[in-house]
Amino acid sequence: MGSDTTNRMIRAQSYAPEGFIALDNSALIYPPTEAKYNANTFRISMDLKQEIIPQILELALHNTLERCSYAKVSLHKGFFWYYLSPNHKSPVLHEEGSYPSARISFKDNNGYLLKVLYSKHRIALECFHALTDGSGALVYLKMIVSEYCRIADISDVSFSGALDFKERPDPQEFSDPFQHFYDKNIPGSPSTGAAYHRKGSGGYDDRVKVISAMVDARTLRERCRERGYTVTVYLSSVLTMVLQQFQKEEVPQQKKRKPIKLSVPMNLRNIFHFETMRNFTLFAVPGIEPALGEYTFEEILKKIYLDMSLSQDPKKIRSQIKRNVGGERHILMRFAPTAIKNPLFKLLSNSLGDDLYSAIISNLGYVKVPEELESSVSRMDFYLCPGQINKVSLAVVGFKDKVVINFSSFFNTDTSLERMFCRFLVEDGIPVEVSTNRTPEYKE
Amino acid sequence: MAYCIQCGVKLEERARECPLCQTPVILPPGMERGDSEPLFPQPLPEKGTEGINKTSKGIIELILSLLVVSEITIALTMWFSGNMAYSFIPLFSTAMAALVIAMALVAKHTYVAQATIHTILVSIYLLGIDSIDNRFNWSLIVVGALVLLWISAVFTTTKKAKAHPVLTTLLLMASILGYIVMINLLVAGSLTWFVPVALPTAGVFFLGVALFFLMFLTRKRSRIPLADLVFFNLIVLFLTFTALDIFLTHYRMGLWRLNWSLSLFSAAMVLTILLVGVTVSRRLRRYFTSQNRHS
Repeated sequence: MGSDTTNRMIRAQSYAPEGFIALDNSALIYPPTEAKYNANTFRISMDLKQEIIPQILELALHNTLERCSYAKVSLHKGFFWYYLSPNHKSPVLHEEGSYPSARISFKDNNGYLLKVLYSKHRIALECFHALTDGSGALVYLKMIVSEYCRIADISDVSFSGALDFKERPDPQEFSDPFQHFYDKNIPGSPSTGAAYHRKGSGGYDDRVKVISAMVDARTLRERCRERGYTVTVYLSSVLTMVLQQFQKEEVPQQKKRKPIKLSVPMNLRNIFHFETMRNFTLFAVPGIEPALGEYTFEEILKKIYLDMSLSQDPKKIRSQIKRNVGGERHILMRFAPTAIKNPLFKLLSNSLGDDLYSAIISNLGYVKVPEELESSVSRMDFYLCPGQINKVSLAVVGFKDKVVINFSSFFNTDTSLERMFCRFLVEDGIPVEVSTNRTPEYKE
Repeated sequence: MAYCIQCGVKLEERARECPLCQTPVILPPGMERGDSEPLFPQPLPEKGTEGINKTSKGIIELILSLLVVSEITIALTMWFSGNMAYSFIPLFSTAMAALVIAMALVAKHTYVAQATIHTILVSIYLLGIDSIDNRFNWSLIVVGALVLLWISAVFTTTKKAKAHPVLTTLLLMASILGYIVMINLLVAGSLTWFVPVALPTAGVFFLGVALFFLMFLTRKRSRIPLADLVFFNLIVLFLTFTALDIFLTHYRMGLWRLNWSLSLFSAAMVLTILLVGVTVSRRLRRYFTSQNRHS
């Protein structure tokens, strides 16, 4: 690392002094916009074949939080910004409920932004987005599970990508990466226009209804390889194709059709090779313009691939970081009190976020399970919380020989998006196995 | 183990229908449904959680923030300009304006809920600004009118009122009389003109309305023609005005005679004759309606 980078790192650290830890740039929007239909949470879980013993899990959670002291924090509302500060209360374990990614009640969670749940065979981690992103939370889950397995005498192994319990925390682990890569001398990237939003049918409420589609990883990869694209591009294209079909039925007049754009989180750790336990994600917004005509699946694949490749250009990402951090550093933003900023964030967040895309699809990637644990891990899940504008979200995670595609939805009865998506996969030769928490399944 | 015949997906062993297309799972005879572990151990709750969404929350927070800023600004301005004694009305008005907007957003978005809340808030506001000299001068009359308006235009639309039409009509009549009593008491300090003028005039009005309702109810056809409604209104109103004139003249001069309503009464007679003619004579009715158009 050059001296310039070292200086930047010191600056990034001094930005987060002990006792008063500033939120990272992309976390700023989450606390003020937390409301009904806007939980700003996500969940990652791992199911073991062994029965979970809560006392051991509590110990594993305690040890993980001791190692990652920066996660032992609670959220506070300051005069100018929300901030994190060390939390000395003990973490709370919760029993698994009926749906994932609900709003976290910080009071019932002793102020923690991480919520650990357990059921007979599951260890689940729900996280408020202000603390970290999916990749960060995955590291916490890996650490909790490996610590649990060690204490429970299942196996003494560690997952690749997890932090070492014996090492002291590196200051970089909790420095704000966005401040680190901010360059005031480049122009900020322009914002885009509104996208198509599916109306859906029937009512909706804030219970997260889940349809989980499990597919064989090898078959899925084969189909993607045949076409020459990645799993993320393939699944994003299927979603785009389905949304195109919906809009075609809803808006018969072609020229009135709005662009279909997806929000696909990109893990910037892989692009900038900067390991951090805070949020380090920006969104690629690939999409099509149905006003220009109907796209075939091959055309959609090509368009999504090109858009995503362009979005991953580090120069373009730096420009996005410039826009976001530049906004945070603007004098009006810095000196406006939270009481004024909070409602404005709430009112403007739709036009700066949810309005710009038609759906969100997040691929956490393939989680390599250590060989010793392969026989113990039976399932992995990743869930996002849906929103009021885009009421269905997709989260994808791969483990062992499976890929799990989880649809989280606010719709009470409308499952047409899920149906069309799964049927497309089946017709493309990918067998799909579905499970759900939707009520009829539980009726006797 | 079952597959959906519509979607082609593999279902949970315990599934009774496909979650994607709701096609029921029909097992062959002799095959039993499996008992796989559900995705989540608890069934979904009956309904979602309480709370308001991001946008409503944002608007309420913004109103509250702007309210605090406005109140501080007004208080400081009044203080520096030496007019602190007169600061109640601007401070109170600003607070009430914020409260009205916030309540409009928070309350149920139905006619009855919104109209009720706004009637209460406007009444509080009027009483508040009238009470600046520690007594009520004019606001009670206006608030009384608002209450009367609420009973006649809001309460009558509720399910409760529609279920008991007779009681509702009696309540409406009692509130009209009560409001007149209140005006008499507030203006004169005791009941002066209420018994000799207002009570008999109201009696004539209610009697007229009751008679016409009886007439409409005994009709075979449920639809009431517009001409009949106009006719009914004219008769009841002219009768009421005439009664008011008679009782008022008697109260003021001690004479039983018509005063200013004589010309009104003559005009009413001409109109009444015309309308009776239209109602009774088909030929006359046609002259004003289809006859003209056809020719």
